[in-house]
Amino acid sequence: MSDTHGTAPGPLARGALEPRVAATRSGWVVDARRSVADLVLSDESPLAKVLVKGPVTGAPGSVLGTSSGRAARTEVGGGTALVVGSGPGEWLVVGPVGTAAATVAAIERTVSGRPEFVSLIDLTHGRALMRLTGSRAPSVLAKVCAVDVEDAVVPNGGAFRSSVATVVTDVVRDDRDGTPSFLLHCERSTGQFLSEALLDAGEEYGIETTTLVGLVPEG
Amino acid sequence: MMLLPCPWCGPRNATEFRYGGATGARPDPVSATPQQWREYLYTQTNPLGWSREGWYHRAGCRRYITVERHTGTNEVRSALDTATEDG
Repeated sequence: MSDTHGTAPGPLARGALEPRVAATRSGWVVDARRSVADLVLSDESPLAKVLVKGPVTGAPGSVLGTSSGRAARTEVGGGTALVVGSGPGEWLVVGPVGTAAATVAAIERTVSGRPEFVSLIDLTHGRALMRLTGSRAPSVLAKVCAVDVEDAVVPNGGAFRSSVATVVTDVVRDDRDGTPSFLLHCERSTGQFLSEALLDAGEEYGIETTTLVGLVPEG
Repeated sequence: MMLLPCPWCGPRNATEFRYGGATGARPDPVSATPQQWREYLYTQTNPLGWSREGWYHRAGCRRYITVERHTGTNEVRSALDTATEDG
């Protein structure tokens, strides 16, 4: 196993997908192999994931600038993060690998002094995150999710929580260069089940697994 | 498939929700007798017609909603957030 991004102390964490060519990154086992298939599934679990909870109309919404059902990139703690309005009074902040502590600290600073109660939890190691990208991605999701994810219902930047392959999942549409792309976020204990269900559903479209994509394409 | 119109998420399959039973006045914990608690917890009228009931959207917004549903046809004529009474 090669360490491509430096060795982190402590045990290695595994994501939702079995890597074909294993490497480590910031304490996570990641897949080093990049696929060029039209439909790909990548394990994004190493990305920082912070859950913010507070009043439906209150400090978190105004600070993070995203409402329920929408997702947008914003500057948090000096870096670009994807802020998802995952429910009423609930936000999921997805940041680059290894930035969870800085993200929590940055949001804490901005909401401190406000009268309402706001809670912040680092969920990075408690949740699985994967990305399904490709023109047939909506067709794959149509097999396992009752919510219509076509453009008219879930445009780029749309988000919702529903049952995907019977797993409660946050679905975020985050297109890449005009190609439909969906982030899927669920409990880490059900991540492997969900990834296998997606690979099974995408088999007829030639789905392949690929390396971690991240919030911005990596050169 | 039965659809419930969640005030936060829109129409969703009823399997995303947990049925909370018909809503009614909760007995006063200080003065209620065991018989009153038993009737409140376990005795349902089970009407054929309009029923006001609570549902929990466990696979969606994770909010409790109050729904007026016809138990014969599953037609829903109102669905409100239980906490805010907003639709």
